[in-house]
Amino acid sequence: MTSSTLAAGRAQAPGRRVSRFVSIGIVVLILVLLIVFFVLPVIWLLLAPTKTAGQLVSQFPLSFGSFSQVGQAWQHLVSFQGGVIFVWLKNSAIYSVGSLILTLLTSVTAGYALALTKFRGRKLLLTVTLVVMIMPSAALVLPTFLELNWFHLIGTVWSIILPFSFFPFGVYLVYIYFATSLPRDLLSAARIDGCNEWQVFWRIAMPLAKPVVGLIAFFSFVNNWNNFFLPYLVLPSSDQFPIQVGLNQLLSSTPSFNPVAGKGLNITSPELALAIIIAILPVLIVFLFSQRALVSGMLAGATKE
Amino acid sequence: MTIVEPERVTALTTKLARRRGIPRRRAGLAGYLFVSGYTILLLVFGIIPTGYAVYLAFTNDQGQFTGLNQFIKVAQDYRFGPAFVNIFIYLVMWLVLVIVLTTLVAVILRARMKPGLAAVFRFLYYIPGALAGVASVLVWLFMLDPAVSPASGLLRALGFDNFSQVLAPENLPVILVLIAFWTGAGGWIVVMYGALNNIPEEVLEAARMDGAGPWQSAWHIQIPMIRKWIVYQSILAFAAGTQLFVEPQLLQTASLGRVSPTWAPNQLAYVFAFQHGDFNGAAALSIFLLALGLIVATILVTRSGLFKVDDE
Amino acid sequence: MKSPLLTSRRKATGALALVTVGLLAALTGCASAASTGGSTSATAFKPVTQSASSEITVWADSTRLPAVQAYQKSHPNVKMNIVTYDGSADGSTYLQTKVQLFDRTGKGWPDLVFASPTDVTWASQPTSKGAVPFAAPLDSGKLVPQATLDNFAKGSLSACQFNGNTYCLRNDIAQVVLWYNKTLMDQWGYTVPTTWEQYEALGQKVATEHPGYLVGAVGDTNSQESYFWSSQCPAQQLQKDGSLQVNLQAKDCTRMASLLDTLISAKSVSTQGFFTQGFDGSKVLMANGPSWYGQYLFNSAFKTPAGQIAAANPLTWAGESTAATGNVGGGVWMVSSHSKNLKAATAVATWLTTSDANLTNAPTYPAYSPGAKSWLANPANKDYFATDISGPFQKAADEVWTGWSNTKFSDATAWSSVVLPGLTAGKSLTDLLPAWQTAIVNEAKSVGYTVTTK
Repeated sequence: MTSSTLAAGRAQAPGRRVSRFVSIGIVVLILVLLIVFFVLPVIWLLLAPTKTAGQLVSQFPLSFGSFSQVGQAWQHLVSFQGGVIFVWLKNSAIYSVGSLILTLLTSVTAGYALALTKFRGRKLLLTVTLVVMIMPSAALVLPTFLELNWFHLIGTVWSIILPFSFFPFGVYLVYIYFATSLPRDLLSAARIDGCNEWQVFWRIAMPLAKPVVGLIAFFSFVNNWNNFFLPYLVLPSSDQFPIQVGLNQLLSSTPSFNPVAGKGLNITSPELALAIIIAILPVLIVFLFSQRALVSGMLAGATKE
Repeated sequence: MTIVEPERVTALTTKLARRRGIPRRRAGLAGYLFVSGYTILLLVFGIIPTGYAVYLAFTNDQGQFTGLNQFIKVAQDYRFGPAFVNIFIYLVMWLVLVIVLTTLVAVILRARMKPGLAAVFRFLYYIPGALAGVASVLVWLFMLDPAVSPASGLLRALGFDNFSQVLAPENLPVILVLIAFWTGAGGWIVVMYGALNNIPEEVLEAARMDGAGPWQSAWHIQIPMIRKWIVYQSILAFAAGTQLFVEPQLLQTASLGRVSPTWAPNQLAYVFAFQHGDFNGAAALSIFLLALGLIVATILVTRSGLFKVDDE
Repeated sequence: MKSPLLTSRRKATGALALVTVGLLAALTGCASAASTGGSTSATAFKPVTQSASSEITVWADSTRLPAVQAYQKSHPNVKMNIVTYDGSADGSTYLQTKVQLFDRTGKGWPDLVFASPTDVTWASQPTSKGAVPFAAPLDSGKLVPQATLDNFAKGSLSACQFNGNTYCLRNDIAQVVLWYNKTLMDQWGYTVPTTWEQYEALGQKVATEHPGYLVGAVGDTNSQESYFWSSQCPAQQLQKDGSLQVNLQAKDCTRMASLLDTLISAKSVSTQGFFTQGFDGSKVLMANGPSWYGQYLFNSAFKTPAGQIAAANPLTWAGESTAATGNVGGGVWMVSSHSKNLKAATAVATWLTTSDANLTNAPTYPAYSPGAKSWLANPANKDYFATDISGPFQKAADEVWTGWSNTKFSDATAWSSVVLPGLTAGKSLTDLLPAWQTAIVNEAKSVGYTVTTK
């Protein structure tokens, strides 16, 4: 920051009131437009199961149908292939939570070490991580599939949990968090005080890392929950599908997207919308609970000079 | 010591400012231990598959070394050019939108709002982030169809009377950017807000005392201080752009084929691999995308010093 | 520690340039990049060691699932693992992708799958050198008796036949007939056309007398099969020598394009698809389309009241004696060549495609002629219509033109992603024929066909 720019700001005092209004106006406009953009489709989605597929097209898009229609959509959805949607949800939960635990164990420690310890190969590891993250997934499917097959994991929950727990995004989050927010000198001080490396990590870094742990726990969970590609390609049986792949199957059973889908299935747009709402509920609940952790004041007062 | 008090931290920091570097060797050993779990995962699900893909890109299905022939072959494919043009247009719009807007919103929420209200906004912005893949494409199929959309007035005002006009090839990058921004921006706003929250209050207070308005302190203090995050975001957003797959693929299915099945390079790679059975060509195509991402990442990383722990 | 990539940009760029030059120098005169898989002809089929008690895995789509479950119920001693998947709907490549992966790990194949005819084109060939084609030839080794195969509707198995073998059993056919709203036609005093020329004249008449009403729509992903296939347009015709003829400038194509252009500009043929959201079905006077339009379009999507819709024989061109019609979809069942229990898998496939027990209540028109008779004898399949659809359905089933070949690429891609956007932008079909031609040729070449355009 330079003093000259700030001085310039002070010199404009008379015109400030006008510019203040303009600036508040711009702020309000941006926020409101974005709220509409982000929320309107969600409202539409929430209202969709209250109507029939026909009403969805003929009535005002943001009108409310009836609760009995929601009940009917629910009945149709639950009777699709004998309640398979609950199996999909259960599978998603197993895959997401299982790999979340592994992700936390590996990425918090790794991010910490990359940011605050020095060891040969540190930069290499950072670089390779980045390269791998940029690699397009289509090329990695075949090798990953062959590896999973080599370890006899195809068809087991591990074929999803293990690849999911590789979460370089999380490692980077932790790395940048520690690199920008935790002074190395603090750790040096602790070491001089006689702490060993594990104690330094566990007693000093971890308590300060709560927000970022919450952050990666959240992103990892959401990522796992929403991942479509890997389970779609790797899982051999429809009983093992997570909800995202299940939604795709519902989509291809909906007449509006696949004209020759069976009439007896009763899966139409409202049922699909209801399935989507059910599929995203866990993510929203987790978000609400982790909201505080995500942005709580981090290490206030400690500066890096 | 068991509890870390903020004051103590500051005191220690100043006291020990020039005494670093002593426990380097000890930390080195511990460092290996700390990264071991991650390194194994990286090796198995990152390095080995990537290495195998590179191997595939330089060989043919007989395992013979082919040099650059695979690359030449895919580059000459009639779908190669259009796919890369598509992704280029998409990337430019997507990067500008996501970097500028998420940073701007995070700054506004941090500087202009009470934390409670900011939390409400963040939640509202985040909600679509829970809708990925099938869910988001499906919602947008309805949003963009003038016959059923809540925004049909806007669509008609823009000259779109039916869904097939909306899905015209020249609109596809915009549509895909909309979907990506809708689902992805909320998460980045959360990350950026967290990063801004990390800036000590005193620094901002000092700026205020100097007479800096909110925009000035945002431009001169907040944004430079979260530069690492912005760089990181740029690299990831770029990579996510080049890897675009699920959304155009589902859009293709759900729009009853109005979108080319090889709209994005990653889709083309998928077609090469699984429809032509040509895993070598698919790998070569992916290496093109990887190279593109690497060039951008290298520029950003070297310019920003993302990997620096501190002055070396 | 300093990494050369990150410390000095100039150094890095220099190194990169050096490496590139080095590579370019070293990489001349290498082996060919062409893929060898897929083109080699199949050797004689050798089943794996069979085990009569082995469990069979069946992949079906949601629509066909109840039929498979019904089989399991009536045959409780057969060990079955039923898996649902998208059934290759909408050009999905799920099955092909999975088989590619299974071929590389050497296990995991399902024993029996429901799929689209396009899938047979790759499943009848090895996916890579040395791999066994996924689909078992059903006519070799007497898996399915020739007598059974002979009973399928004429030409309906041509989608299954490659290298002289039959690789699948056709589940249903979707022969194109002329659908019309009898109530409206009677009310307005129109006669049902029998030739394309009459159809065109009626379309123009409707446009002036009852503007807003439609005699057709071309905006669906499969409209080309309803119109251009019926017109015997050589858009993708496999020749005896294995090459593919793509000639959209043939008169059989241009006559249909100009007919449709006339009606599109008169606004009695829509460039929207019938299956577009909010399409007003009450304005549809006629629709040239597949047999499943009756239940799936008019009954389910348009909710047209019962007793209004009727079907007529496929249209012909004036002066042409050979009647020909198109086909829009229809699924197949393939038995895996890797199955340990070919007998059980074939039994299920045979039951699904030929037994009266299953076909009488099948959702779509059976390809197996005796089964089709039982299907037509079931009042539930005909109650909805104003007239008896049996005649047109049976006639059309035997008139499906076999010159629109089942190719390794889907005919929907070029039509939907090149022609339809062009129509939406206001171009005429006649103008779009060259672009459509280029798109088909490109696609055909990319999957290894030799293309002739004459």
